[in-house]
Amino acid sequence: MTQETQQQETQQPVLALDHVSYSYTKGGRNVLNDVSMAFEPGKMYAITGPSGAGKTTLLSLISGLTTPTQGAVEYEGKSLAEINRYDYRSQDIGVIFQSFNLLPSLTVAENIELSMDASGREFSEPKSDIIARLLQQVHLPVEYAKQRILHLSGGEQQRVAIARALSYDPHIILADEPTGNLDPSTQADIVNIFRQLAHEQNRCVILVTHSPAVAQAADHVIQLTKLQRPVVQQ
Amino acid sequence: MFVLKNAARNVTRNKGRNILIIIIVAIIAIAATVGLAILQAAQRARADGLANTTITAQIAMDRGSMMKKMEPPSTNESGSDSKPDFDAMRNALESNQITLEDYEQYANDAAVSSSYYTETAALEKTDNFQPVETSSSNAMGEASSNSNSDATAGAERNGGPDGAIPGGGNGGLGNMVNGDFSLVGFSSDQALAAAQNGAFTMVDGKAFNYTSSDDNDVIISENLATFNNVKVGDTITVANATDSAKTYKFKVLGIYKNTTDSQSFGGPMRSTASDPDNAIYTSTATVNALGLASDNTVTTETSSGNEVKTAASQLQFTYVFADKAAYDEFCNSIASQLPEGYTVQSADVDQYEQSLVPLNNLAKFAKTLLIVVLAVGAVIIVVLTIFNIRERKYEIGVLTAIGVRKGKVAAQFTTELLIVTMLGLIVGTGIGAAVCKPVSNEMLSSQITQQQTQAQSQREQFGRDMMQPGGGPGGGPDSASGEQNDEQRGSDSPTANSSAPDVPNEKRGMNRMANYVADVNATVNLKVIGIMMLIGLALTLVAALVAAVFVMRYEPLQILADRS
Repeated sequence: MTQETQQQETQQPVLALDHVSYSYTKGGRNVLNDVSMAFEPGKMYAITGPSGAGKTTLLSLISGLTTPTQGAVEYEGKSLAEINRYDYRSQDIGVIFQSFNLLPSLTVAENIELSMDASGREFSEPKSDIIARLLQQVHLPVEYAKQRILHLSGGEQQRVAIARALSYDPHIILADEPTGNLDPSTQADIVNIFRQLAHEQNRCVILVTHSPAVAQAADHVIQLTKLQRPVVQQ
Repeated sequence: MFVLKNAARNVTRNKGRNILIIIIVAIIAIAATVGLAILQAAQRARADGLANTTITAQIAMDRGSMMKKMEPPSTNESGSDSKPDFDAMRNALESNQITLEDYEQYANDAAVSSSYYTETAALEKTDNFQPVETSSSNAMGEASSNSNSDATAGAERNGGPDGAIPGGGNGGLGNMVNGDFSLVGFSSDQALAAAQNGAFTMVDGKAFNYTSSDDNDVIISENLATFNNVKVGDTITVANATDSAKTYKFKVLGIYKNTTDSQSFGGPMRSTASDPDNAIYTSTATVNALGLASDNTVTTETSSGNEVKTAASQLQFTYVFADKAAYDEFCNSIASQLPEGYTVQSADVDQYEQSLVPLNNLAKFAKTLLIVVLAVGAVIIVVLTIFNIRERKYEIGVLTAIGVRKGKVAAQFTTELLIVTMLGLIVGTGIGAAVCKPVSNEMLSSQITQQQTQAQSQREQFGRDMMQPGGGPGGGPDSASGEQNDEQRGSDSPTANSSAPDVPNEKRGMNRMANYVADVNATVNLKVIGIMMLIGLALTLVAALVAAVFVMRYEPLQILADRS
């Protein structure tokens, strides 16, 4: 039982980890051991911890890219094992990978559109309008839509990755080291965007980070220690 | 929709790679189209060539196989004596003869649309009526008529290329032509129209009828008439070939002229009876009335003093079929009824088969080409797909990470490949269709040249083309006919010196030239296009299967972790 769950929050968690353990090999050393935590909409969470504490593993579990060896990851009360993880990834959670994972041969707009198409959702307005709005939201000029990813800087690619993650309106935004390679001013801007997403758009934002500045900006910080239960700080 | 849209976009995105695949597929498609078209054309030529053509056939005896069967017992009987048992052989051959009655019975088969026959007997000259002689060497006359060269020449019109001897009576033309004239009895106008010496036209008078009331009515050749100063209405007198005291009188009802040149028949050693000019045409009724029916036998004494029984005339029974299918049906139904050693043979079919040799060789080549090209094509496409998938591993990782199902990713890759393959296929089939005809005809002509070169080297070896006008070495395309005859003669000669009746096909002697099918109508039709599309689909499916296996194996987390 974590401290977080002990808090008497009124909101239902959108995402919860229920006694999750994970090891890379069957019967091998656990990277995560009996972790339980809950994530609520409208809040920004920062997961921090030293290397090897299982931050990326936690992110993979939350994003449904891998399954826990014990316990369950629950989205809106349902275990990911019971729902289609492809649908979950394409519709309910937007993941911003550390290395962005954009397709370099595609343009900014094409990369974003790919995720929109993959979600299988119907959009009420033209995709190009949505893309333009998203680019504005992540503070990128609209003309960038036609740029190839390779022609963008790291910070710009980061913003495109955020725009892509937002494009299909997911409830959860998950980012791995979103400010890792950015200068302080860009870093502040990006963090600001995430805060807006949580507080203004009522999304659940989870950031995995080493940066104390990013952690400070979060509503909740989840400290992972090597093979220790996480400590949640208010 | 997602799959189609992304596939279409990716096709245009990766131009270089896709153009490479299109070129490769197009090359495969060109080769496959040409191969397929040739195969189809060869099949069509086979199937259609004789489909609507009347086919004539004879029942032939494979004397070689008959004698082979007899060999073991005769060897045992003779013990250490190495001399073959000639009498046993002769008796065995004779006992297996087919009579006119048998032939007519076979003709009742439903597949036979009509039948006719001729009976050819030899006649001797009399003081008043002499044969046309064109060569001074014919002074050797009868003595030379049994020589090997004559027999060989006779065999030219005799058997098929497989050495079988048509007919079921006694004595081949080689022996029968020892007279001065050949009296040919025809059973019907159909038989007369298909006369062995070729087509003819009446110069004067008219042809005989076939009833017994028209006995002794004959028609003779224009040259023979001129030589003997005979006119229509005159009576001619000829003698029996074995008994010169016995003479026959015929009334000349008409004079005909062969429309085919008879010179090619006149080798220096030929007997005058084998000269078409010395053929006297009449009805079988007349031949029978004279006691020269094929069922009658005459006894002759050979130069070695042996008495040999031969048929008074040689019988040539011809069955006519509406088409190849009917001929095949007849072959099947009659096979069980025929005495051992006999088969149904059709010069038309043989000739047609012979003419198809280069085309068949080409078809064989095309088939091999097709198989090799498709096998290599499949391997190339699979390898390209594997490279493609490996190269785009990251893309697969990203797509699956953002929630695209693996099946969809595999479908997208398959669709991309299908689009590219189909484009290549369309381009290749188009080019293939354009070059198909000239290329296949060029290939066919090289096959024919090869065939001719083989025949020519045979001729050079045997030095035996003197009798064929215009058939000399290096005679160009014309020489094909001469060579073909050479080939036939070569294969016939072992059985040529025989006593079997000659049942030459009308079309053989003069016209049986190897008119190789020199033009193959290898056009690309809907069927070829359909098959090409199926091939394209099959190749794509094979590649898609490989793609699917790879895509399913990839885990997005692994790919992305490797990348970062």
